[in-house]
Amino acid sequence: MLSFVIDGIHAHDLGTIVDREGVAIRTGHHCAMPVMERFGVAATARASFALYNDRSDVDRLMSGLKRALELFRG
Amino acid sequence: MDELQELYREVILDHNRRPRNFGALPDANHVIEAVNPLCGDKLTLYVKVGNGRVEDISFEGTGCAISVASSSLMTERIKGQTLAASLELFDKVHGLLTGAGEPPEDLDKLAALAGVREYPTRVKCASLAWHALKAAVTGAHREPVTTE
Repeated sequence: MLSFVIDGIHAHDLGTIVDREGVAIRTGHHCAMPVMERFGVAATARASFALYNDRSDVDRLMSGLKRALELFRG
Repeated sequence: MDELQELYREVILDHNRRPRNFGALPDANHVIEAVNPLCGDKLTLYVKVGNGRVEDISFEGTGCAISVASSSLMTERIKGQTLAASLELFDKVHGLLTGAGEPPEDLDKLAALAGVREYPTRVKCASLAWHALKAAVTGAHREPVTTE
């Protein structure tokens, strides 16, 4: 599992954008509000791998994240 | 324009980057806490009601681009409006977001929120500030507002 944040782009926006690439990630508090408060983050994005994932899924995730950067940072 | 650009229009991105009326309002007579605990969006809306109008309004908090932009656009549009007009706008925006029928007219900049109706999971982001406004205007805010 990879939890991550991108400066200036909220995790929910990342979630919606990578969803358009066919990639489902979890975003927000992950039902773990106390630990989010401990680390002082409002929300994180989280990608998890399963048996059926392969490199093409990672590529799609990356292309979604690039799209998010283009949209938000121009 | 693809569907993502339809959602993240320039107006939305601009209001997310530079939210208008952002910060506490010392002479507010309504302070409404609004939260979406599942996603972590948190908003405090400050409203100064007087002479049947929203004389001043501001907000602070954290949230996604849709939630911040919707809050910012709302404060910009609502400032100076009568309470009745504010409630009328609430209904119009609600109709715009939930997609019941044709998008209402006269929404001006608020029409930028129209892309949200294609994304059911994001409706609650866009409507949080508006529910907080309704709570302020109707005085019904003993409990924190939530759209979850």
